[in-house]
Amino acid sequence: MSTATVARETVQRWLDEAGAAMGGDPGRRRDALLELETTIWERLDERTDGEPTDADVNFVLAALGEPTEVGSSCLPAAPLVPAHQTRTFVLHVAIVFTVHFLLVVGATLANAPFGPAPLRVAPIADSGNVLELIGRMFVTLVFDVGLVLVAYVSLRRVQRMVRFPHADIAVRPKRWRCYQTAAFFALVLVVFNSFRDRLFAMYVTTDNGIVGYPLTGAGLLANIALLNIWLVAAIAREVFYGTLGERRVTLILDVVARGAGLYVLLRIVATRELIDLGSVRELLGPQVEAIGGFLNATFGLIALIAAAMMAAALVRRVFRLALIRG
Amino acid sequence: MSTLFDKIGAELRRGLVQVVALSLLRERMYGYQLVKVLATAGLETEEGTLYPLLRRLETRGLLVSEWDTGGSRPRKYYRLSDEGVAALPRLKEVWHNISSAVGRILNANPADLTEAQTS
Repeated sequence: MSTATVARETVQRWLDEAGAAMGGDPGRRRDALLELETTIWERLDERTDGEPTDADVNFVLAALGEPTEVGSSCLPAAPLVPAHQTRTFVLHVAIVFTVHFLLVVGATLANAPFGPAPLRVAPIADSGNVLELIGRMFVTLVFDVGLVLVAYVSLRRVQRMVRFPHADIAVRPKRWRCYQTAAFFALVLVVFNSFRDRLFAMYVTTDNGIVGYPLTGAGLLANIALLNIWLVAAIAREVFYGTLGERRVTLILDVVARGAGLYVLLRIVATRELIDLGSVRELLGPQVEAIGGFLNATFGLIALIAAAMMAAALVRRVFRLALIRG
Repeated sequence: MSTLFDKIGAELRRGLVQVVALSLLRERMYGYQLVKVLATAGLETEEGTLYPLLRRLETRGLLVSEWDTGGSRPRKYYRLSDEGVAALPRLKEVWHNISSAVGRILNANPADLTEAQTS
């Protein structure tokens, strides 16, 4: 192995350690790491005429300090909710929870789904059961805390992007990583379309052999075409990034892919019917509905977090698209 | 003991490097260039101190940054924002006040200062 390769590997290891200790989002981490990397190589260039030796690299890295310390001081991990916003955060959770709670009460009294379309909530099945009420309120509270948290984090990210649209650097992504991601999406596309019914199913061993019960919910079935568009656009985006780097056409594809993804995720959040346990009701008993509700609420929350991240990434790409030269 | 001096020294430097960096960044500079300029001027500053500080000043809107990818290595250049340009004279004034007050205190006899306060 050549001296230059060893030096590059040592520097990369140091950077990986520093990066692991950094907080912030991937974009800011990449930015901070690139700045550190440039500094390291400039120091090495100053110290050596030709290829840096092991001793040169070790000297420069030692002068910079412990990678974990440098990383954590360069980009400290930011709390999801900054200390000065804790009181408003609690207040906002309380407001959202109160509204949510009133909707559940309304639905239970009316014994039918209640509230406007995306906020519609189901009634509590047995209004006399205190344990069920407490369980439902707990799930509601967890969901609401997550909801407000997502709103806070997304708002902060969007704010930062609006304030510092130039902060991101147009770095040519690593080609092999783009193709790797494209291959992964292609695999997901094939597996999802070929084995969907078998993937979203529960298998039970009976006297007649293994029987599969389909669990695909209406929310998922209604979004299959869009999911495919999302995946195909994402594959094309990765291939373009790998081949051309960041160009207008790549960013347009990126915006299309993330736009489709965001739309799918928002529809899933609105319906919250990814899985349907109706087919196993007889097998597992009536409590399966509560389990199904809990799972769909959890998936809904995950989809909401993913949607917020997708929206933030989409805004970033739109900015890049507006700013890119050539 | 030297560690204690190092720590106190680093804390002292951290505060004043903000004003110094803002003053230097009236001209566009990248991080390592700033480290070298500061070292030449006698103010050794580690990257681990300077980079977070530059990021904080940028977050506060006093600096703006841009990547220059034209050279052999990409460099992140910083310079004062309009807000930073407006804030610099006031920060300098604050610094001069602190500096002269600290000078007076360090050179004075503590008894004289206590006396002046009671009279």
